[in-house]
Amino acid sequence: MASFSATSSLSFFSVRANNPQVSGRNSCLKVVSMVSARNSFTSLRTARFHVSCSARPETVEQVCEVVRKQLVLPAERPLLPNTKFSELGADSLDTVEIVMGLEEKFDIEVAEESAENITTVQEAADLIEKLILKKGA
Amino acid sequence: MALKLNPMTFQSRKYPSFSLPSMASLRSPKFVAASVLSSGPKEVENVKKPFSPPREVHVQVTHSMPPQKIELFKNLEDWAEQNILVHLKPVEKCWQPQDFLPDPASEGFHDQVKELRERAKELPDDYLVVLVGDMITEEALPTYQTMLNTLDGVRDETGASLTSWAVWTRAWTAEENRHGDLLNKYLYLCGRVDMKQIEKTIQYLIGSGMDPRTENSPYLGFIYTSFQERATFISHGNTARHAKEHGDIKLAQICGTIASDEKRHETAYTKIVEKLFEIDPDGTVLELADMMKKKISMPAHLMYDGRDDNLFEHFSAVAQRLGVYTAKDYADILEFLVGRWKVEELTGLSGEGRKAQDYVCGLPPRIRRLEERSQSRVKQSRAMPFSWIFDREVKL
Repeated sequence: MASFSATSSLSFFSVRANNPQVSGRNSCLKVVSMVSARNSFTSLRTARFHVSCSARPETVEQVCEVVRKQLVLPAERPLLPNTKFSELGADSLDTVEIVMGLEEKFDIEVAEESAENITTVQEAADLIEKLILKKGA
Repeated sequence: MALKLNPMTFQSRKYPSFSLPSMASLRSPKFVAASVLSSGPKEVENVKKPFSPPREVHVQVTHSMPPQKIELFKNLEDWAEQNILVHLKPVEKCWQPQDFLPDPASEGFHDQVKELRERAKELPDDYLVVLVGDMITEEALPTYQTMLNTLDGVRDETGASLTSWAVWTRAWTAEENRHGDLLNKYLYLCGRVDMKQIEKTIQYLIGSGMDPRTENSPYLGFIYTSFQERATFISHGNTARHAKEHGDIKLAQICGTIASDEKRHETAYTKIVEKLFEIDPDGTVLELADMMKKKISMPAHLMYDGRDDNLFEHFSAVAQRLGVYTAKDYADILEFLVGRWKVEELTGLSGEGRKAQDYVCGLPPRIRRLEERSQSRVKQSRAMPFSWIFDREVKL
């Protein structure tokens, strides 16, 4: 499994530490559960990246679904939260359609300027939760 | 094709707008080199160079067509003479700009000008902006003749080459030249627009050029021109219709006549690509998919008037709003060409060819869907001044 940035390991870790659910269905979660099993709390404190805006795993999973569908990724192909869509073969039209798919799925509206900053599953999930929060407020 | 670099440009949500299919334009570098005029030390601050027109941001790729395919075009010269040159009109039978303008040699000249100006008074500012943008596009003709002469296998090697391809290119250029001339004179006489600003814009635009990413390949080149001719046909057809609605019948005739030229040119270029599909279906469908992935950039996307850094974006927003040329037109043109070239019925394609075929055939509905979504969103309406009309504001 490719190594991933400290951000992703942290953002999942904060949620995963208490509930190590091993899900075989979605490769996103597969990655997450492996992290939590290996790391300890001390790595959280020494981390350089803050955890405050990170999304729940359910959100990440739903984003993965949309991305997989759009890019027609084979089920065995792992989808890491920080992989750039472009690395998965997405062109700019795919990315726009991914954002559209997310708008439909989560019933939100993504402003153009924000959409431009969505290049990974993680970024999408974080933004979605921010928008849902704003909507509820 | 494996040699090509295809940088992944991240598109903004405005993708469906036909303007943004062009690559984002890039401002000049942040560092200012010592200007030729100044004798002071080199400035290395983050200063934007004043009056810097946009530049192409993509990597410019050249000669992506394998050289052995050049033979193909040499072998097509006779075919081109019999099938393509026939779409040119003999000069003696051609209209000239003077046919549509006040006659300076006649006694009634001043009255004719007066009438022209009376009719033009009724034209709304947003329509004028679009007409001006179209005129500027036509006036950048040197760029388009240049572009045709970048294509391997069909370029005019001497400027007076007698190959059918070269004959076509020069005659096409000559026909197109009348379009800019006619619109220029009309706009000059109408008195509604700031000619100096327009002329400046033209000078900047010809200086900027354009790279439609045809990579010296006549496959890509003629696919591009097929698309463009149809686009200009639609666009001028719409400005003709609008002119009629605003009561300027003469202007409607002008735009309509230009549109009919474009239709004839579209017929010629699509015929060339049809022939390529016949001779080399796999190669051609791959190039069509490549061109569509890179998106058909509009010829004047680097336009600049010395004031507005996003001039093309603003101009095309108005063209979109008025329905003169829209993202839906973009999708319609692609769908038309897919039908015209019978892309869906191609057989005997390689694996990559079939992927390209699927991509191209599936693209129009995707673009339409995007455009519908974009339209359904609440838009903040914004007005923008245009230097072409003395900084009068127009809604985008």
